[in-house]
Amino acid sequence: MSGPSLAEVEHADWPSLQQMCSDLGLNPKGRSAIVRMRVADHVRRRSPAPSWRPAREHQAALLLRLNHPDLAVRVWESTIHLDAPAPWVGLGYAQVSSGLFPEAAKSFSRATAMGDPSGNLHRAEALVAGGNFDGAAQAFDRFLATRPGDLRGLLMKASFLKRAGFEEESTKVLQTAVDLHPEAQGLRRTLGRSLLRAGHPAAAADALREATRQDPTDLDAMADEGVALLVAGRTREAIDVLRETLGRDPQRADALNNLGIAYLSMGNRKSAATNLKRAAKLFESPRILLNLGKALEGTRDRAEAVRAYEQALRLRPEDPEALAGLDRLARLTKAKSAKPKKAAGKPTKTAKTTKKSARPKDDSPAPPSTEMP
Amino acid sequence: MTLSREASYRFLPSVDRLESAMRAARHALAQGDLAGALRENDIAIQLKPEYDAAWLLRGHIFRKDGNIPGAIEAFAAALKRNGESEEGWLGLASALHEVGRFKEEVEAYDRLLELHPRSIEAWIDKGAVLHDQGDYRGAIACYDKVLEMRPEHVGAWNNKGAALLRLGEGAAAARCIEEALQLNPDFYDALANRALLARDAEHPGETVIWAERALRIREASWLWIVKGHSHLALGESTLAMKAFERALALEPRSRPAQSGFEKAKAQRAKSDFYRGVYECFGTYLAGDPGCAECEIRAQCTQVTP
Repeated sequence: MSGPSLAEVEHADWPSLQQMCSDLGLNPKGRSAIVRMRVADHVRRRSPAPSWRPAREHQAALLLRLNHPDLAVRVWESTIHLDAPAPWVGLGYAQVSSGLFPEAAKSFSRATAMGDPSGNLHRAEALVAGGNFDGAAQAFDRFLATRPGDLRGLLMKASFLKRAGFEEESTKVLQTAVDLHPEAQGLRRTLGRSLLRAGHPAAAADALREATRQDPTDLDAMADEGVALLVAGRTREAIDVLRETLGRDPQRADALNNLGIAYLSMGNRKSAATNLKRAAKLFESPRILLNLGKALEGTRDRAEAVRAYEQALRLRPEDPEALAGLDRLARLTKAKSAKPKKAAGKPTKTAKTTKKSARPKDDSPAPPSTEMP
Repeated sequence: MTLSREASYRFLPSVDRLESAMRAARHALAQGDLAGALRENDIAIQLKPEYDAAWLLRGHIFRKDGNIPGAIEAFAAALKRNGESEEGWLGLASALHEVGRFKEEVEAYDRLLELHPRSIEAWIDKGAVLHDQGDYRGAIACYDKVLEMRPEHVGAWNNKGAALLRLGEGAAAARCIEEALQLNPDFYDALANRALLARDAEHPGETVIWAERALRIREASWLWIVKGHSHLALGESTLAMKAFERALALEPRSRPAQSGFEKAKAQRAKSDFYRGVYECFGTYLAGDPGCAECEIRAQCTQVTP
């Protein structure tokens, strides 16, 4: 039978305390506070001692997680041994968090010298953080020379290259990673996105289609495939893929936004506005609202376009795109009011021409987004 | 071929030899072989006279050996080589404490706190030395610093309570000591301070309870004497005699224990109350369900203040 917990003892009323004393074979007589203390003492002494206590290494790691890197550095320093690389890695990370990048790189070098193969990888991270990209590239290469094909190393190198602005090189590293580890989940999607960013939408669409084939539940890859196709100018295919994505998850605001843009580029403003409105309802983002404003500009519902731009301005005051949109709409309204009134209910050629000419080149919809706008 | 003495200085000491000497010295110190520790430490210092860790170790060896002036010198030497060593400043401060150089000890803590303002150990120890010097407000300020950083620090709560007790601020002291006991119900110092608080408030029943709890953890002659006097106040002569007897066993020449024992003996000739299973005797509380059922309530109410 398990005894009462300390919390139960703390909150027990007098009859319960008496019962506990009887169950535990304790003296039930005396003032209630003293009896309670007696039972609590018994429970505390009977409860098993904690099986684990944090060692210095654990304390150091916890201090870093609790955002005390300076203290973590000191504790890690006290755990350093001549023959153990792990504390050097811990010390290095604490130093990175403290902004001591050169010291961190030295600590990681020590770990490498002691035989930790991942030391170079950590060192590369510290060097990147300190802005030493050349040193970081060398550290990555040294690591990959000892462990060619290491997925973590390849991905870190790709990420570093991307951050440094080398999209093409990053994509090549990712391609190598995909070739060496075709089974890795999500890797093809990452490659597809990288290709898209590097300006290769057709190749991106292929990679993303492969990703969806590998994992049919990967709706992110499917939605991105739609974007890649759209950017590649294969609008009809893009619409099919985006509609399929929305068939599986109708709540995806990014897919709704991108589908809206696809319709807009096909000249189908009504469908575009419908999808963008749904996207805006799901996710109130300035990007979606601006797209909606643009889609509505060409329709009769200009008041709603104004509302969309105004809403975008509330979220992002002084947004130049929204201000330009409002300006365009104001000019259109002025021009319309200056014209002689035509007979109602009869669409005129002039009105159609106005619609077309009211869409200057820079008024094209924003490109589809691969991420949530 | 042997190198001349001058020529041998051109070589750097081997790191391996240095570290093995340091390891051997630490091992010997841990084993209690102070002579061996000092011998290995000498080797390390000869190899690298500027090695602060070797001087720190020397300080610890001397301190354990009771050579406090030597320890002070060694810690000072370590700090000369590395003025930012927390271990060095703490070692120096504790060695200074042992020879009663409190002012310099406080200065050592101040220097350390300039370098490491979040050193809990330095704040606590500085508070303790200020307390020893009678600067209770200064001590409380140090404990408050600790509690800002570590609100669960039992020692800081207890020490703050002790300082407040000295200042005569009983209610505030009680709150701090209660906090310490809430965090660690078996913290000896807090239990002893709780007993003293009850004694100062002239609540002998409570004094007995807290002294009893503290004595279960660690025996101390003075605490047995406090308990003995409280039993006397409750009319429990036999229990008082036993308490004074225990105090005398721990400290045979204790005059307060002797006089207390005599007093208890004389009182037993007149009256002696037996509390039985009621360890809370003398702490009657109206309305308490336990007190309502108590068989010795009448006697308890008579001795409860």
